[in-house]
Amino acid sequence: MLLAKTLTSLTFKLALIAIATFGVIVSVIFTYVYLSTTAYVRSRSDRAIVTESSSLRDAYEKSGRDALIDLIRQRTSDRSFAGHVYALADPSSTLLGGNLAKWPSEPSRPSGWTEFRAAVPLPNAADPPLVRAMLETFPSGDRLLVGRDISDLDSFTAQIKLAVISGVALIFLLAMMASILVTRRTVARIEQINATSRAIMQTGLDKRIPLRGTHDEWDRVAENLNLMLERIETLMGEVKQVSDNVAHDLRTPLTRMRGRLEKAYHGARNSEADQLLIGDTIADLDAVLRIFSSITRIAQIETQARKDAFRNVNLVEIACEVVELYDAAAEQDGTRLSVTGAREAMVTGDRDLIFDAIANLVDNAIKHGRGGGKVVVAIENGDGGPLISIADDGPGIPPDEREHVFKRFYRLEQSRYTPGNGLGLSLVAAVARLHGARIEMLDNAPGLQFNLRFAPPVG
Amino acid sequence: MTGSHRRILVVEDDPETAGQLLEQLTSSGYQVDLASTGDEALSRGATCDYAVITIDRMLPDIDGIAVMRQLRDDGIAAPFLIISALGEVDDRVRGLRAGGDDYLVKPFSFLELLARLEALGRRSDTIAKETILRVGDLAIDLISRTASRRGKEILLLPREFQLLEYLARNEGHVVSRAMLLQHVWDLHFDPSTNIIDVYVGRLRRKVDDQQAYPLIHTVRGVGYCLRAPG
Repeated sequence: MLLAKTLTSLTFKLALIAIATFGVIVSVIFTYVYLSTTAYVRSRSDRAIVTESSSLRDAYEKSGRDALIDLIRQRTSDRSFAGHVYALADPSSTLLGGNLAKWPSEPSRPSGWTEFRAAVPLPNAADPPLVRAMLETFPSGDRLLVGRDISDLDSFTAQIKLAVISGVALIFLLAMMASILVTRRTVARIEQINATSRAIMQTGLDKRIPLRGTHDEWDRVAENLNLMLERIETLMGEVKQVSDNVAHDLRTPLTRMRGRLEKAYHGARNSEADQLLIGDTIADLDAVLRIFSSITRIAQIETQARKDAFRNVNLVEIACEVVELYDAAAEQDGTRLSVTGAREAMVTGDRDLIFDAIANLVDNAIKHGRGGGKVVVAIENGDGGPLISIADDGPGIPPDEREHVFKRFYRLEQSRYTPGNGLGLSLVAAVARLHGARIEMLDNAPGLQFNLRFAPPVG
Repeated sequence: MTGSHRRILVVEDDPETAGQLLEQLTSSGYQVDLASTGDEALSRGATCDYAVITIDRMLPDIDGIAVMRQLRDDGIAAPFLIISALGEVDDRVRGLRAGGDDYLVKPFSFLELLARLEALGRRSDTIAKETILRVGDLAIDLISRTASRRGKEILLLPREFQLLEYLARNEGHVVSRAMLLQHVWDLHFDPSTNIIDVYVGRLRRKVDDQQAYPLIHTVRGVGYCLRAPG
């Protein structure tokens, strides 16, 4: 199974291509080495034959046939000339001297190089030798053959040939094994990821790719994929939570409306009661529509589609407008609402969205703060960029609940029955994310301080 | 407002919505022409002088904005009220930039539509040249930016003055909360709280407390109306 996957994998195919290319290059180099080695060895042997042949010719020309026959006899009995082949024949091919049993039949040419296998072995040799020789015909018609036993040479080149071929074969074999091993490893890791993907598709998002603890690139890929899965799982969980909450928050007014209408449908017409009923129903419908448009608004902000509407805006100006708008509401609540800090703090962003976010925070601070307390909006130009904080002196939020308040529809138990749809802080979070602003929640002792840290304005 | 200025063209492709609008607008004293496609809107809009044209953005043949542009190019000056299910600010801004005069998001309350139609219809014929607006015994001085009732000055914050001025300019007509947010605060979204009511409540205390009669009236389900009795 794994082997089949290994052999069909892309990595293995790439390895094969690499091996083939490498193999061709190695073969060319080895062939060159083989050819040049054999050519060198042969040319050395040929030079020795030429030298010997010319010294014998000199002897013939200076001192005549008999002197040459003597010289040949001397040479054939000399051990240092072992492996040499000599033959002198008259024009009728009758042997006059030398160590060949008979004049070779093959060399019919008058002069030049020839190769033949001798009929009988040379002295001190087991097999009839392979001879390479040079032929010379004297003006008198006598013919001289000087050569050497090249059997050794032949087996030497054969050995080189064998070494070269087996070397190439070995390299191929090793490369093949190495690539199978490497590919197998790769395929095994990929197969692990594939298996996890299949398991996720079949059962659920809770599966993770096993790590080997080697901290290699495969572990890093697996780690990142696992992180991604974790994030997706969290988001899916949130979506489920949101849809549960949406269902709950929408179902409540819808159920009320349905019950009311059903009762009126079966009851007798009563214009005064009907009018009241219709008015209440419209108010409930409006609440449903508001939740609906809040959700789509947050979704739209989260797609980051609005960034092209960004301008440089003064945070202080927006904060003052928000405070002015909420002035009356604070007054009604007996809360003192004020702005302090810098006179100007520029950020790059969308005025309406920033207004909405600050308005939500101020609204929360007034609603959840202490009646008769104070809410302070402060703006300062920090090192990292402008910072706006909204602080109340109410009961605050317990530290372990702070991270949950940004979830859509999340509402603290204590505020379950104050007006609001639980989407305000989700909107603040979405706006902050869009603007690259960081949200902090601090204990104002007593109360809650909400910080929005913006990035410095662009340009 | 003259008879010819009560004529409205409603461009709407959903027959039920169109029927409801026809019925309600007619009973509010308007003469209503209906167009269900862009082509029909173009031919009707070019042949008749309307007080207001309401146009749906999603029409079966041509985009409502294209219809609006075409009619503007043909020299039609009637104000356009864009009605759309595309509610986000970007769509609003695009619609207004293309020549729309106001924008209403579906679904809307009929009273809201009526308030906006009234405001748009007025815009074409009453552009006040006065420096003092009077409603009953209330006088609003637009130069010194002060308000008084029976000669006694009412102390107002600048935004409260703007709010009162806007209400006075629409004297006797209903203005919705969304219209107030849009024209007084320049905000194009619904903060989804009762913040406007609280704000108007405070203005009302300043203007109406210990007076002979109230001027600021709440209109249930829509918004507010500034009017003197009688």
